[in-house]
Amino acid sequence: MTVEAVRLAVDRVRSRLREDARTRNGKLFAAITALAVFAPVMFSPYRLEIVMQLLIVILAVASWVFVAGYFGMFTFAHAALYGVGGYAAVILAAEMGVHPLASILLGGVVAGLFSLPISYPVLRLSGAYVGMVTLAYAEIIYYGTIILRDVTGGPTGYTGFPQLFGGDRVVMYYFVLALVVALMLAMYALLVNRFGLVARAIRESSDAAQMLGNNVPRYKLTGFLVGSSIAGVAGALQAYNILIISPPMLEIDQMIEFMAMGIIGGLRTFGGAVFGGIIVFGFSEVLRDIGELRLVVWGALLIVVTLYFPDGIAGSSFDVRKRFQEWFDR
Amino acid sequence: MVSLGLLAQQIVNGLFFGGQLALIAIGLTLIWGVARVLNFSHGAMFMVGGYVGFFALGFTGSVAAAILASIVVVFALGWVTEFALLEPMRDREEFDIASMVVTLGLAIFLENAILVGVGSRRRAFPALTEEVWRVAGLTISVQRFVIFLISVFALAALFLVISRTKLGLAIRAVSQDDQTALLMGVRPRRVYAITLGCSAALAGLAGVLLAPLFTVYPSVGWYPFLLAFVVVMVGGLGSVRGTLIAAMGLAIVRSVSTIWVAAESAMVLLFAIMIAVLLINPDGIGGWIDG
Repeated sequence: MTVEAVRLAVDRVRSRLREDARTRNGKLFAAITALAVFAPVMFSPYRLEIVMQLLIVILAVASWVFVAGYFGMFTFAHAALYGVGGYAAVILAAEMGVHPLASILLGGVVAGLFSLPISYPVLRLSGAYVGMVTLAYAEIIYYGTIILRDVTGGPTGYTGFPQLFGGDRVVMYYFVLALVVALMLAMYALLVNRFGLVARAIRESSDAAQMLGNNVPRYKLTGFLVGSSIAGVAGALQAYNILIISPPMLEIDQMIEFMAMGIIGGLRTFGGAVFGGIIVFGFSEVLRDIGELRLVVWGALLIVVTLYFPDGIAGSSFDVRKRFQEWFDR
Repeated sequence: MVSLGLLAQQIVNGLFFGGQLALIAIGLTLIWGVARVLNFSHGAMFMVGGYVGFFALGFTGSVAAAILASIVVVFALGWVTEFALLEPMRDREEFDIASMVVTLGLAIFLENAILVGVGSRRRAFPALTEEVWRVAGLTISVQRFVIFLISVFALAALFLVISRTKLGLAIRAVSQDDQTALLMGVRPRRVYAITLGCSAALAGLAGVLLAPLFTVYPSVGWYPFLLAFVVVMVGGLGSVRGTLIAAMGLAIVRSVSTIWVAAESAMVLLFAIMIAVLLINPDGIGGWIDG
């Protein structure tokens, strides 16, 4: 890529950012980011912990939306790769003396490597079949973490690895915030440029995109790899945040949670992950008192959103009159 | 070297397990073949069947009544699912993914609604019989044998309905082309509802039959669902015969492999087989034998 192309891409991102900042979602995101910057002053250490988890979850969900929403590759392996990133980072840091900060990056790289074996079937199959084959792969990784107990610590998980920044939570918070915002911006930059256009073309009609001269397999592979690596980074951050990594972190339940957030937030809009994360995760934390009832609520929410708001909360209009009009038009 | 006796025992166990697996998996493949729905709430229906059976047994004291109650209630659940959740989306372009998500939502909803309603306690379902037969050095649990017989009976009934009755003809017609079927006077909406009901009823029947082995608790459905999922993929989604062969084959593979490796490794083996089959021929065994 030439310098000129990069400059054009950056210009494009800048103009799109300016445009998007004026929309309803843009204003909300600006407010949320501002809130996140002041979170350490506003919240108790316990609350700050939860905000940090929320940020990481948003990153993981966004990387899933990047793959599933934009390319239409409905992968179930994302939570498993998120877990692989976590395991890789903390094991590298504890056993091989890699610096924790570098290990986070390496976690992303390892997750990317683990996404390669399954990428071949993912590129060849389509629709629901992608979901099936990645679900099988996710289960293999899940059982793998239990079987390889010498490396992963088995069912009870892996603990006792070095902490980030010697355990200073506030510094760590700003590090997580900066990394999450940077990676979200990177994905946003890819999506508003040619890459994102081709991705959406592939989602709508892979054959048409191919016919227009795009190297569809290469775009899909890049998208899958980038999304999976970012999930790995998110997993690494989460492992350092909660100081343990165990097989339940990459179980199918975790995947379902990510999917629910992505779908409720909206698969067609990149910002959907932010809404989905805040609504599902935040809601779960606020409603911790009512216990399991919250899971009933978000199971129902998943159904209602898919039936009536296929574009999720970020992509839907909440103008009541418009909604009514749609009801009558049907 | 493994003794032949152990090997034979594991093969017999595998056969019985295959019967159970087939009962769970058939519903899953049926509903994909006819309505193109990958039903992620199949495990939840299995679980509901177990609970209905448990309470019906407590209420009436009769196992037959418990089985009947599960079948009826879960059939109704499947019927309602089709009309309330799947029918409104049928015209969507991405129906296969949307239906996957909605049934996933339903699975979460049902599992946790039961959890809130009756608690997470594991409920022991009384065994049908504790008797054991010893035949030629093999140990055969009578309970498992009876479960196997009922499964075979249910599957045979399903085959007869599909191949011999007018309803079966309608189901086959709709699965090939719902628009043409509509022109021939078949109501696809009703056929979809009946099929989803039957598929759910099979899951419910499996739920109550296997309750003595699995016990009954809210998340009991996930493990059988995942196994059935592998079976259905290997057998070929939508192929009933392929699914039967795959259920038997994979159950024996799993049983025999546990002689040497842990249960987790056996699961890895099954999932690896599934990925391999999807890669070589996405239509699975059904793609080879049905063609």
